[in-house]
Amino acid sequence: MRRSVLVLLLFLLFILQGTILPWLMPDSWQMRIIPNLVFIVLLFVTVYHHRHTALVLGLAFGMLHDVVFYGRILGAHSFAMGLSAYLIGLVFQIPRAPLPLMMTVVLLGSLLEDSILFAIYSVFNLTQVPYNWALLDHMLPTMLFHFAMGLVLYIPVRRQLELLKKETRKEENA
Amino acid sequence: MFKLFNNKRLFILLITLVSFIVLMGFSLGSRKSLTWPENFVRDTTGFVQNLFYKPAGYVAGLFQDIANLHDLAEENERLHLMVAQYTREKAQYNFIKAANERYMEELKFKKAQKELYDFELYIAQVISLTTEPSNNSIVLDLGSKDGIKPNMSVVSTEGLVGVISQVSNFTSTVKLMTMMDVNDPNSQPAISATVLNKEGQSFGMIEGFDTQSGMLQMNKIPVGDPIAVGDIVISSGVGGLYPRGLTIGEVKEVKIGQFGYTSTAIIDPAADFQDWKELFVVFTEERVE
Repeated sequence: MRRSVLVLLLFLLFILQGTILPWLMPDSWQMRIIPNLVFIVLLFVTVYHHRHTALVLGLAFGMLHDVVFYGRILGAHSFAMGLSAYLIGLVFQIPRAPLPLMMTVVLLGSLLEDSILFAIYSVFNLTQVPYNWALLDHMLPTMLFHFAMGLVLYIPVRRQLELLKKETRKEENA
Repeated sequence: MFKLFNNKRLFILLITLVSFIVLMGFSLGSRKSLTWPENFVRDTTGFVQNLFYKPAGYVAGLFQDIANLHDLAEENERLHLMVAQYTREKAQYNFIKAANERYMEELKFKKAQKELYDFELYIAQVISLTTEPSNNSIVLDLGSKDGIKPNMSVVSTEGLVGVISQVSNFTSTVKLMTMMDVNDPNSQPAISATVLNKEGQSFGMIEGFDTQSGMLQMNKIPVGDPIAVGDIVISSGVGGLYPRGLTIGEVKEVKIGQFGYTSTAIIDPAADFQDWKELFVVFTEERVE
């Protein structure tokens, strides 16, 4: 039950980041901030729940993004989101992590995901800009935006994850 | 040291990695149509996005309109002037068009030759977008059921925006001009371009977009070409993929090209690539290939 709530929440966030957020963002930021709300929630899942759940969700929602916004390549987001959520979970899977630690994870994870994406595009020769420029142009602003969104999402998402955990525990006991 | 990978996990990891590389390589090339899972996912998501994007646009537009209220009188005056000029030129245009059709008749033009430069605009609603620099794309609410095909041009009221890259039954993705890249073999084809008011004399190929400066690059401009700073660049229709007469941008700089013989012009694109509402898909006459 709770699991489907989580999936629905992720789908809703995916829709919102493609439709409503571009209208809320000031024009001059539009090209520099690439919101990925789904990935922020995945970072919460990987830290507070389990990295395998985050891996599967990352692969699925990344693929959804790839298919819907299919311009040049399939699988780039799927790979980047799945892998970075898993790697972050491997290091930071702490069910009682406090807020400052979680925010550090959001910053690191966001940078890691954008870097993996940049690496994929470079390997397939789809981008010619140097990494330094991309870092300053959109990765750092996106990191800060994700930090702010992480603060907003912290309480509701953590509450959902607590409920999810309680439910899984009950299932295991039964 | 904790044990990172046992044999089974390593195996799964490698298989996944290889299949991802295969998938990416496979999806890079040009594809005629999408498979049914892709169609299904795109159309269902498109339907949900449709419910969100338009209302959000109206609300945002309302606030913008209130903010812009005092510019309205000024804009109205400018539009009046333009309409006056347009009606004058329309009469002139009708005369020239009639004469042209008569000449075509007398010279026994084939039907295909007569319809070479005809095109129609179909309005399409934007339903969502992503601004990621390496994969900047827009989703439209028209699909193959409405007759959309890959590589059709998409324009906004300002000018050329991009080409259709993938089409599913009820939605299609636009690959923006910002994705144009000389070094990418799968990039959209170069646009053959000319200059407004110097249509017969000027020629060049728009081949790439520089992400760092946000400018388009027009290469292969021959020696003695009258192109100058401030000129409006339009598509010339040579080559047949892009229809004739779509506004592309304004010349910012003309310099000697890469090989020192032809010139290169730096062009500021007319479309500003943000605040998308409606776009127009250009339907050209069907051509035998």
